[in-house]
Amino acid sequence: MRPNNALLATNLSGTVQPAASARGQITGRVDRLAGMALIIGLMVLPFLVMLSTSLKAQEYILQTPPQLIPNPATLESYSELAERIDLPRTIFNSAFVAIAGTAGQIVISAMSAYAFARLEWPGRNIVFLLYLATMMIPAVVLVIPQFILVRSLGWMNSYSALIVPGLFSAFGTFLLRQAFLAIPKDFEEAAYVDGANPFVIFWRIIMPLSLPSLATLGVFSFMGYWNNYLYPLFVARKEDVMTLPIALATLQAGPRSLTEWNLVMAGAVITVLPILAAYLLAQRWFVSGAISSGIKG
Amino acid sequence: MFRRFLLLTLLCVLLAALPAAAQDTTTIRYFTFSAAPDHLEDLDTIIAAFQEANPGITVEVETAAFADYFTLLQAGVASGDAPDVFELNYENFVTYAANGALLDLSGMVSAEAPFYPRALEAFQYDGKQMALPATFSTVLLFYNADLFDQAGVSYPTAEWNWADAVAAAQSIRALGEDTWGLFSPVQFWEFYKKAGQNGECSFFNAEMTESTINSPACVSTLETMISFMNDDLMPTAAELSGVSDSELFLSGKLGMLVTGIWMFGAFQDATFNWDVQIEPAINQNAHHFFANGVAVSATTQNAEAAAAWAEFMASSETAATVRVESAWELPALNQPEYFEAYLEQTPPANRAAVFMALESPVTPPVIERQNEMQDAVNALLTQAVDGELTAQEALDQAKAELDALIQ
Amino acid sequence: MSQVMSWNRGIQRWKWVAVFLLPGLIGLTVFVLYPIVSSFWLAFQDWNLLQPPEFVGLSNFQELLADDDFWRALGYTLTFIVLYIPCVFVLGLALALFLNQKFPGMLMVRAATFLPVVASWVVVSLIWKWIFNPSYGLVNAGLNLIGINGPDWLFQPQTAVYAMVITSVWKDVGYIALLYLGGLQNISETYYEAARIDGANRWRCLRHITIPLLTPTMFFVAITLLINYFQMFEQVWLMPMRDSAADRQVEVIVTEVVKNAFSYSRMGYASAMSWVLFVLIFIITFVQLRLQKRWVHYEAE
Repeated sequence: MRPNNALLATNLSGTVQPAASARGQITGRVDRLAGMALIIGLMVLPFLVMLSTSLKAQEYILQTPPQLIPNPATLESYSELAERIDLPRTIFNSAFVAIAGTAGQIVISAMSAYAFARLEWPGRNIVFLLYLATMMIPAVVLVIPQFILVRSLGWMNSYSALIVPGLFSAFGTFLLRQAFLAIPKDFEEAAYVDGANPFVIFWRIIMPLSLPSLATLGVFSFMGYWNNYLYPLFVARKEDVMTLPIALATLQAGPRSLTEWNLVMAGAVITVLPILAAYLLAQRWFVSGAISSGIKG
Repeated sequence: MFRRFLLLTLLCVLLAALPAAAQDTTTIRYFTFSAAPDHLEDLDTIIAAFQEANPGITVEVETAAFADYFTLLQAGVASGDAPDVFELNYENFVTYAANGALLDLSGMVSAEAPFYPRALEAFQYDGKQMALPATFSTVLLFYNADLFDQAGVSYPTAEWNWADAVAAAQSIRALGEDTWGLFSPVQFWEFYKKAGQNGECSFFNAEMTESTINSPACVSTLETMISFMNDDLMPTAAELSGVSDSELFLSGKLGMLVTGIWMFGAFQDATFNWDVQIEPAINQNAHHFFANGVAVSATTQNAEAAAAWAEFMASSETAATVRVESAWELPALNQPEYFEAYLEQTPPANRAAVFMALESPVTPPVIERQNEMQDAVNALLTQAVDGELTAQEALDQAKAELDALIQ
Repeated sequence: MSQVMSWNRGIQRWKWVAVFLLPGLIGLTVFVLYPIVSSFWLAFQDWNLLQPPEFVGLSNFQELLADDDFWRALGYTLTFIVLYIPCVFVLGLALALFLNQKFPGMLMVRAATFLPVVASWVVVSLIWKWIFNPSYGLVNAGLNLIGINGPDWLFQPQTAVYAMVITSVWKDVGYIALLYLGGLQNISETYYEAARIDGANRWRCLRHITIPLLTPTMFFVAITLLINYFQMFEQVWLMPMRDSAADRQVEVIVTEVVKNAFSYSRMGYASAMSWVLFVLIFIITFVQLRLQKRWVHYEAE
């Protein structure tokens, strides 16, 4: 999570729609079609190379010029991969870490955000500034002490190590605070008159009204957990808690790995498919989240 | 709906926060780099024998490639999550022993233990036996006899020096565009060994107060190593494009390869005739003496079981037999009957070269900041290979870096 | 607030503050604040993880200044930034302008553009590592078709940098375009209508309306890129071919930190290095905040 992007988030909300008028029309029809083909080609081709390589048999990998379409196509690299890596377990690890982490991060961020947006207490601004300040620290500063902390908590190679340190996101708190501030207070006051306490207001009014922002945070939190590499690299080395990116990177470490590209690409397909599918399903939230979070991906 | 969501979430978080399930007290974890990927089944055979002899102890294997192994081990030891028993090579043994990461195994070694005295000494620190020698291995000159025949040159002999090898390599290289003469990697380990073949070059002075890696003898050694590539007898890394040297050899496109005897097993699949010879000399013969030890973590909860496994792995008859039969390095035991069985296997026909090689052993230079030394030397060697630096310049810089590391 | 809520005053309110804030605050303290403080403390220690830490004053920082490897890593980091940022900056803008049009099929193009953004760096690095293989990869096969003998890409330091820059641009261009799209949406339609009445063609509109009004976004994008690329890691960690010259020579600051921490076990030294990185990033953020005041002012005019 990058600090400066959060500043932008204050005035960006909702999703980006295509330009409604002709103002943006800058290319002619032929140019446009050529442009569309070029963009799709450049963006998708590497993924096709990944897919195609994963479907080749070992003996067709080292060919010049490379085969574009695998002939014969085979799934043997996937079955070979399943022998090297405990695939069901690794996929489960990735999914469990990402889902639990996302859910936890949303709840914790929302509760903190509520305290900043709706409760009034002395020192609130100072504590909030402290939250903002932590967003300026580069991730690598945290990696070493978090590694040491996880180690002294006895969490090495456990799900806790993968999930818990990421739950406390100053950025998530910040994002949701902005969303909560945008909700008119009248709603709550009506509920208060009916005798509701803050918790009821939080669950029954604030949260349902903030669903778009919660979804945005959710999508990005999920992506962050699913794709994370630098931190899990050092706290989750054992196969029973290893996540997909780590397992995938270890495929490249073996003595013959540099020619087993079909295997590596099969692993890449398995790692990337769920997140691509999630993206295509949640594109709307992704777009707004990308703009406000500044995550590189 | 939100309440259910909250409960579910909290449950998830709670579940995740539970520390890893308590370990079975009789399970010991063994971390190894030498077993994967070719000898995992052989390791399983040894484990099965051990578990049968020691009911109630289960050995759990963790493996990593050599390139990653020490980073992972370091992280594990540092995190207090060290494997109970792990493999250590001689170079890294010193660091771990000096930092108190190893359990003293002195009590485990009885007077009649069948270890090679030299190997046993290698794993002593401050007079204590901090690890047991398990295996040793060396590096030889492997050659593709069919290519030698085609080129009409005679096979390598024990009397060869590198000039003979280069002459043969030139003839083999002439066989075809994609046929290479020889491959001898340019990296830290090869360099200190070739330094031994030169005889005059050593990385440090005897008192270990200063690096002498830029001495004329070292420069000329490095120039010899680089000349193979400059003379186009040996493919560059890019020409290999990720194909390993052993794969190139297996594909029948390489005349001579300098590599370890642990490749015997993998080369059984070769579709051509091949054999080994001791390495050519520069001024004298010199060969690697790689000793791998088995150490027990100082923090193990199951010291007895762990030590029993370490001893079984190092010196049991089963372990020795399995290693010999599967050509998975040599047990560091002073018992000729194992070696006789080893020698009987072919290919390679000239297996005796393994023992000839061990008559001229060199051990690596070892300092406490070993990894930094290796990385620094390797980076400079690649610059010399690429011609960015001359051998002299590269080694002058190496001297400066090594001097800083031993301060 | 028109009405005062009783639970928002006195002792009662602290109860609710505790309920809502404490889970997050305690976690943040333990897993973020404490690590920040301890990392700072570590920067003044010598610690190999196995022996107790030893206070060494400023010597880590002194060593850093004299450490060729650190300067080399900083040099490579800056090289990446200099090569990568102009490319992605211009290409991202071009892509955003293209995507901002309304045509059938454009949503599909947008979806395609963002695929690399959601894929993890590990996957992207591995795919491109294969594509850049000098003998068997697609790039050199393509160059061969037009009669060019392709370079060794991920084997040599120089070409490896180019390969990593190309990969990074491919991965990030969609995200940058997205940021620009956000900026484009904020430009009021009235400017264009006025321009059209004056008879301006579309290129004039672009030059005199779109680009000037987009400068705040462009500025923001430039700073985001700078901060992110000072912290680049995965591509440099994963892409160079093992044991090649590129693998042994190309390091950026974060890979240097990681190597010192986890390969050399020099936790104190690595921490010191990570704080130097923080200072660099802090300076950039500071400059940004200063300049941001200018563009906020500019927009209000």
